[in-house]
This record gives sequence, C-alpha cells and structure tokens, in this order.
Amino acid sequence: MINTGLTFAIVDSWRLPAWLAFTVWGMGSFLAILLVINRVPVMYNVLNMVVRWRNTLLSAMAFTMVIGLLTVMQAFVNGMYRLTETSGQPGNVLILAEGALDEAFSSLAMADSNDIANQPGILKDGEQPLVSCETYLLAAQSVPQPEGKTKRRFLQIRGLVDPVMAGRVHGMTLDSGEWFSEAGIRPDPDDVNAAPLVEVVMGAGMATEMGRDRGAIDGRSRKEFVVGDRFELNNRVWYVTGILKRTGSSFDSEIWSKQSVVGPMFGKERYTTMVARTADNASAQKLKEFFNTEYTKAQLSAEVESEYYKKLSQTNEQFLYAIIIVACIMAIGGSFGVMNTMYAAVSQRIKDIGVLQLMGFKRRHILVSFVLESLLLALFGGLLGCLIGLFADGWTANSVVSGSGGGGKSVVLELTVDGATLISGLMLAMVMGFIGGFLPAISALRLRALDALR
Amino acid sequence: MGLTLRLAWLVLDNTFRNPLRTLLTALGTVALVLVVTLVYTVLDNLDRITTEKSANLKLIATEKWQIPSQLPYRYVAGLAQGAAKSETDTRPTDYMSWAFFLGSLEADQSSRDFNSFIFAFVMEPEKVLTMMDELDELSPDSSDYKNLAAAVEKLKQNKQGIILGQSRMKKLNKKVGDRFKLYSRNYKDISLEFEIVGTFPQGRYDESTTFRRDYLNSALDQYQRDKGKAHPLADKSLNLVWLRVPTRDAFNEVANQIAEAPEFSAPAVKVETASSGIGNFLEGYRDLLWGARFLLAPACMATLALVIANSISISVRERQQEFAVMKVLGFQPYQILLLVLGEALFVGVVAGFFSATATYAFINFGLGGLPFKIGFLPTFDVPVSAILVGTFMGAGTALLGSLIPAWSACSVKVSEIFSRVT
Amino acid sequence: MVASPTDCVIVDHVAKSFRRGSEEVHVLDELSLRVPEGEFLALMGPSGSGKTTLLNLIAGLDRPTSGEVTVRGEPISRLSEGKLALWRTRNIGFVFQFYHLLPVLSAYRNVELPLLLLPMTAAQRRQQVEMALNIVNLSDRMHHRPGQLSGGQQQRVGIARALVTDPALIVADEPTGDLDSKAAEEILALLVALKSSLNKTIVMVTHDPKAAARADRTLHLEKGKLVDEVYGAHTFSGVH
Repeated sequence: MINTGLTFAIVDSWRLPAWLAFTVWGMGSFLAILLVINRVPVMYNVLNMVVRWRNTLLSAMAFTMVIGLLTVMQAFVNGMYRLTETSGQPGNVLILAEGALDEAFSSLAMADSNDIANQPGILKDGEQPLVSCETYLLAAQSVPQPEGKTKRRFLQIRGLVDPVMAGRVHGMTLDSGEWFSEAGIRPDPDDVNAAPLVEVVMGAGMATEMGRDRGAIDGRSRKEFVVGDRFELNNRVWYVTGILKRTGSSFDSEIWSKQSVVGPMFGKERYTTMVARTADNASAQKLKEFFNTEYTKAQLSAEVESEYYKKLSQTNEQFLYAIIIVACIMAIGGSFGVMNTMYAAVSQRIKDIGVLQLMGFKRRHILVSFVLESLLLALFGGLLGCLIGLFADGWTANSVVSGSGGGGKSVVLELTVDGATLISGLMLAMVMGFIGGFLPAISALRLRALDALR
Repeated sequence: MGLTLRLAWLVLDNTFRNPLRTLLTALGTVALVLVVTLVYTVLDNLDRITTEKSANLKLIATEKWQIPSQLPYRYVAGLAQGAAKSETDTRPTDYMSWAFFLGSLEADQSSRDFNSFIFAFVMEPEKVLTMMDELDELSPDSSDYKNLAAAVEKLKQNKQGIILGQSRMKKLNKKVGDRFKLYSRNYKDISLEFEIVGTFPQGRYDESTTFRRDYLNSALDQYQRDKGKAHPLADKSLNLVWLRVPTRDAFNEVANQIAEAPEFSAPAVKVETASSGIGNFLEGYRDLLWGARFLLAPACMATLALVIANSISISVRERQQEFAVMKVLGFQPYQILLLVLGEALFVGVVAGFFSATATYAFINFGLGGLPFKIGFLPTFDVPVSAILVGTFMGAGTALLGSLIPAWSACSVKVSEIFSRVT
Repeated sequence: MVASPTDCVIVDHVAKSFRRGSEEVHVLDELSLRVPEGEFLALMGPSGSGKTTLLNLIAGLDRPTSGEVTVRGEPISRLSEGKLALWRTRNIGFVFQFYHLLPVLSAYRNVELPLLLLPMTAAQRRQQVEMALNIVNLSDRMHHRPGQLSGGQQQRVGIARALVTDPALIVADEPTGDLDSKAAEEILALLVALKSSLNKTIVMVTHDPKAAARADRTLHLEKGKLVDEVYGAHTFSGVH
C-alpha cells in the first residue's frame, strides 16, 4: 500500500489551483529576475540554437516526448477526478443501510422508504419528494470474444422505481430515445414466444464499451450502442430504449433499468440506495446528520453524495502518485540529454564567452544567458509536448475507481486536458530545462576569458 | 591483434574521451530504462498470472450473476466435491472456502481508522498451508513453513485464534498472545473475541488476517438465538470457494458438473480458473495497461533514442576532422560507421544492464516488490528477464539513436573538412 | 615618476611573473612607460617578450605582480574584479587579431554588444552603433553576419565594436596579423584616423614592421624589458 498521507499532500497540492498559481508565480518571478539580470541579447541564444538546429531539435523533442506523455497521463487522472467530483450532485444525500460501505452491500427495507422520503429538508415537486429509490447491483456478463473465447464483464445496473425522477435527482438527461416503460419490459417483436425484452437506458460510456466488444466479435462495426440495440445477460435479452447524455460522471458507465424487473431477477428485491435532493450543501449536511443520528425508524448510513464519490478517489491518488514518480524519472532522464546539449553549446562557444567577458559582461550575465537558452529550449519542446498532449483531450478510457473501503466502480472516463495540466507540463519542462542548463552554465563561468581567446 | 579488436579498443578509448558526456548519456539511459523496466515488470507479472496453466490448476467458484458473490455456506460441502454425484465424476483434489470479514478494533464507528482495521479471510485453518497462493509452495524445511505450521496448529486448537500479517499486527500495536475484540463492519452487530496465535511469513500476506470458519458460523447462530431471527447475511456468508484440479480436462468436467447441479442453481454458481478470473478483473484496467504498453514504454524508448542521438551527434561533429584523418589513413567508411555505432552500443548496453540490474536488486530486495498494488493482486517482483530486457532496450535504443550520426560520420568528405580547416 | 595630466597610460615599475610548475617565470621586469593622450603606440618584440602581457595589464585584463598601472588617473590594479569589468567597458576598446566577433550575430548586433551593459535607451544605442559603423565605413553591411564579410571587413566591425562605447584607449593585439597587405593597410589607416580625428590613444601589439611604422612611436620589448624607442615612421631604421 502506498503512503496515503504523502499522497494526500501531493494530491492536494497538485489539484489546488493555489498551488499551481504559486508555482507559476514562482517560475514567473524567477524568469523575470533572469531577464532583468540578462544583458546578452536573447536573439544571440535563439540564433545559436538555429545554427545547431539538429541538437536543438533532438533535445527539444526529448522534452516533447516527456511533456506529451505527462499531459496524457495527467489527462487520464483528471478524467478520474472529474468523474468522482461530478458524479455527486450538489445538495444530494445518499442513504444506505447502516454499516454498508458501498451501494453494492447495502439493503434497505422497502417499507421504510416512504417514511424516509418524506422527512423535512428533502425538496418536493408538488406532493412528490425529490427522492430516487434504487437497487444498485453488479452483474456478471459473459461476452463472446474472437476465437470462441468468452470474457466476463461486470455491468453496473441501477434498478430504478422512477427513471424520470432518477434522471432529475442525478442530473442525467436522455441523449436519444426514451426512458424505459412503467412495466420495464416489452414483448419481443421478432419472436412472440420468447421471454419479454428487458428495457434499459444506457450510459454513453457503457454504450461505447458494448459497441467495442460487439465490434471485436463481428469484426465490423465498433460503433457504440444506440437505441434499439440488444444484448444478453442472465439468460435474457435486454433492449436499449434510450442513451443518456455524457456527463463525465460514473453514471455514464451504468445501465438503468426498472427496479421491479432487475431486482427480483438478481435476488435483490430491496432497495440498496435512496438519493434525496435538498436545497443546498448545508441542508444536505443537516439531512445527513439527521439520518445518521436522530432518525430511529431505520438504521441508516447517510452521506452527502459528493463526499461519497470523493471517497472513491483512492485509485486516482495511486495513479497520480505513480505518474508523478514516472514523470520525475523521465524528466531526470531527459534533463541529462539537455545537459549534453548545453555542455556542447558551452564548449563550442568558449570563444564567444571570452569575447563577452572582455567586453565587460560579468559572470552572472553569462550564467543567465546560458540558463535562459536552456529554458528556451525546454519551453519550445514543452509547448510542443503540450500541443501533442492536447490531442488526448476527449479520448475515452475505461478504468476502475475505488475507495479504501473496498467499494469500486468500473467506469468509462473522458481524458481531460485542462489549463492546469498544460501549465504543470510547462512547469516541469522549465524545471528540466533549468536542471539541464545550470551545471553547463556554471562550467562556462569557470573558463577564463583570456584562456578562451588564446 | 586483429582489426576488430583494435577497433574495439578505439571504441573504448573514444567512450572515455569525453567522460562527462558519456556519463550524462549513461545516466539518461539508466533513468529511462528504469521506467521501461518497471512497465515491463507490471506487464510481465500480469501476463504470468493470467496465463492459463495446464496442470495443477486452481479454480474459483463464485456467484454466477452478481458481484459481490454471496453464497450460502451450505454450498461448501458440495462444491468441495465438485458437485460430483457418481464414482466416475471428477472430484477436485483440494478446496478452501473464503468469507471476507471486515472489522475494526474500535467499537465507536467515528474513531475507526485504517490502523485499527482488519480484513480477514474466514476459512478452514488447515487450508492455509495447502491452498493459499504462495503459502502452498513453501518448502516444508523452511523456517517460514515451520512457523506457519505451528500457528495453524494452534489455530486448530483455539477456536478464537487468529493469524495476522506482520505489518498489520504492528499497525494494531499487538503481539502474538494478545487478545482483542473485533467489531465487524460488514457483518452487522457481530463482534468477536480473538487471541493472536501466530503470523504469516513476510511478504504477500503482510496485511492479511485469517480466522476459523466455524467461529463465524457459531457467531451467526448465536445472533439468531439472541435476536430471534437470522442474521441478514446468514445465508450469504460464503464469498467464494477455491478448488484444485489436476488438469484442464478436470477443470472442464468440474465446471460442467457444478453448472448442471440443481443444488447450485439458486443462486447459480460459476467456476473459472484463477487466471481467467484475474484476467476478467483486469479488464477494468484494460486501457491503462494499453497505455503503459503502447504509450509509456515506447515514449520512454523514443526519449532515450533522442538523448543518445543527441549525444552521439555532438561527438561526431566535434570529431569530423578526426574522421577525415582516419579516412586519409586508410580506414574504410564501414569501419568508421562501426566505430560510432560501437561507442553508442557500449554505453547503451552497460547503462541498460546496470539500470535493470539495479532496479531488480532495489525493488526485489530493497522494497520487497514493486510498491504499486492493483486490486487484490500481490506486489510484483521484477523478473530476472527484466535484466535482459533492460540491456536489450539500452542496446536497441542506442543503435537506433546513433544510426544517423554514424552515417554522417562515415560519409565525411575529406576534401571539405580540410579545406575548412586551413 | 610623476603623473602628468596629459598621460593616458602610466606603467610604473610593473613586474609580472607566472608560476609554471615549480619554476617562477618573470614575464615583465620592473617595466615603466607613459603613453600620452592621443598617441598611437606600437609594441614590438619577439614571441615571449611580454608584449601581450603588457597589453593585457594596460587593458585591465590582468593584474601586475608588483607596480601600478594608471589609466587616465585611475590606478586600475586596485579596482575590484567587478568594478574593473565595468571600467573596461567604459574606457577600453579591444581589437583582436582574429576579430573575435560572435558568429551568429549581425555586424550591427556585434557592435551593439558592449552598449548593452551601459544604461542607455535603444534609440541611444542605435545612434552610437550607426555612428561607429559609419566611422569604419561599414554602414551598408551592418546586417551581415561575420561569415558573410571579408577579413578586413570583419576587422572593421571589430574596430567599430571597440569604438562604440567611446573609450579613450584602444588596445589592439596584432590587428593586421590575419589580413592581406591591402586590408592591413586599410585597417592601419583607420587606426591612424581614429587617433588623429577622434584623439584616441591607441596601444597596438604587432609583429609587422610596416604596421609599427604607422604608429607615432614604437617600443621594443625583449625578455620583459624595453630596449629602445623609435619615433615615427621616418625614424624607422632596421631595428632588428
């Protein structure tokens, strides 16, 4: 297990805009100081870089590689964070049975649900409380694979009493099609003798995943599932009546169906989850406290929804931690490359350095000039890397998010390259550039003007 | 002295002519090969544990349709026999049943933290030595085995006994012989008294715990007597059953027997090999593993090739005159090509080998495995083959990176160089 | 020796020695000389006679082992390293045998280089640079890089760079050493013009008697000592 305390510190600092702002401020003022000290025209550095363009390109491309990769990796972690952050709606309270660490382990008595839903603090639409009663379950699906193999996939199925209410509470809307019917099933038009089709509404990410597997078996279309598509699970045929609009939340990876159909089918006749909408975060906190301490009709474990999903970010931290380590090692490796270039630049320009010293340029001017050159190289390569990393924005990837309690969700997330990602990439490039340029620049100082010119 | 040998000497000479540059290139290689070695370690280990074995397979029987798998405990006896009905039916050679018990030493929910937390396999004590991964492979002569066997023996005699992983015991601040009370998190209103009877050997089970199945069963019975109704999980207290079969044929037969047995239909049970179970679990990480294999590792290698290309091209340019002189002295272009390639190769091979070997030693002996856990999988050791892979990686990227500079070195035009000098 | 207000350079009992291994090498031995304002002085002598060392001492590139060098009333060996650098920028212009221009910069940028150390606006710098290039008659080539210029042109850029800060003293180390005779003649004419029309004091080290002949005075060094003085081109007569 990784050291959670340290990870938290890193996560916090990485995510905190203030941290980034501080770094940018620090780096900015550092650059400003360098530029104030600098006397050798920057054009001199640029022209020299152009003259030895092969080495410039080779070392800049090393930066491009490192920063590009870092951007993609960070975009992935961003997607995970966005997922755990956007899945919870503000003001929502998630109600599970007491002791349940995760929805999958919870079990609420149906008889209590009415009373729970009508507690003060929960918003109402006319007479109807904004509460969604749900049975969340993980089903194992056998997916045929090429060459007659099968793999097993875990489907996250959410049985809903009222899909419209659920959509409203979770902030999910239909992208295409319609909600499943009141009955939750429909006769199979192709085969009147077959068991009725189970109606589902599918998250956009799940539609992509299923399309991918269908493509793998029929070798043709890898297109995502659309309204009217079917799949098999639990010896039944399931029918897609609607696709949910992508939100970047974990609901993108779920399959929504009628509670009264899927609950009994998987032996989960009780609700696992109730989600109640309150006016705002403060009311949500209050309602949570109320259910956890004062409410006596049933033993409940309530949590503000956004906090519940935040707890699922342990995997995010683990990956972030790994990325930071990998990025550091790669950055060190890349820095050595730049160092080579800069040492060569210094040794090729010993005479220039001598002339500059004769002209009266001080040691600090020469030091700063070479450091700036290295930073320029880094910035050039880093910007290119950011640009390449930008292409990853919008890619979808599957992953697993989980908390320390053991609950986990298999999710499809969208890679997100944001400003913070790009800026932190550039910052790393600058740090690499500085490390790579500083020692050679120091070595330039150890040369004496006269020695260089004789 | 043969020409090849003389060239080899020249390569060595040149390598050490600018020791700083050689050192920097080597350090860059070390860092980047390190990343590739780590990626290789993860992928190789995953490949290994998801590769189907042909003999002495372990199977996992779980609930067919749902996760978490929650089966009634009464299934154990039948599953242990592979649902065999007649004399001719295939039977597993060994079995082990697991229930997961999560608990805390703190009664008060609010003060429960990771340090007071216990995750226990509730199982048959004697199966610790015969069915648990890695523990079933301990040599009977090893001290690990003897200590564990002694602990298991005590567990058999003491219903309230518990075996702890060593680092878990440290976090709980307990020692062998101590007693404590464990308040369950997943088995509501069940709390159990324990006495620590021993520890697992260091390694994979450092954070694990195990206690007796019949102890949990009696606690569930006691609950029913006290409360007048069955515990909510009374009929769901079996999470999975491990089976051991000698061959793949035996696996198929056992899987069919269980699939067709009416007594295992509500809830239904599926049987899969441990490796395919892990494979299915890893499906969740598919894109991440793809990224490690097809983005991270190649990007590292490309960066490395760039670093090497840069360094070699610098040294080639500085030595253009020298190559021209060599040509005048009668060196063939291919010999100059070999000279430059040889230099890069030498640095790449030495640095790659060093990096992979150091990673191997540090991760396996220093850290006791790669500290990056995927789900329930054990921490990964760097495989010995990683040393070979790292060395080849260094060599390959060095060749790749030095190809163009070497070409430009051997195609140096003597006349041009000298006209520029004078 | 008493300082005269008209002396630009006073070298007063200067000795300079280096350590070479365990051995002490005396390059200059209790040497004294004066260079009046506006004089064009040539220093001659065989290799190892110490003439370049003397030039470096006068230009403040090196410090004497003993004695004092005073330039325009400033005893420069007492200046700190940092002050000395700024002092050089303001007071000394350097001209080298191999020009020592920065190869990637245009003639204009090369000339501008020393001005970047002085508190000047871009417009002021522009004016100075153009004036200096005008003096050396290279205004039409100011955007060429050194590689695109002939040796003589490069040396003229070097002289413009030496001039641009308007120093009182220009030191030139073999300024014609790398040039053909025609180009050399042009450079020498230019130096003479600087002396006569701008009243610059010039100290030039040279091997070439023809070059020395253009100077007001020629000093010969041998083994760290002055051997005699020769005045003007007309008095030049087989010093060898």
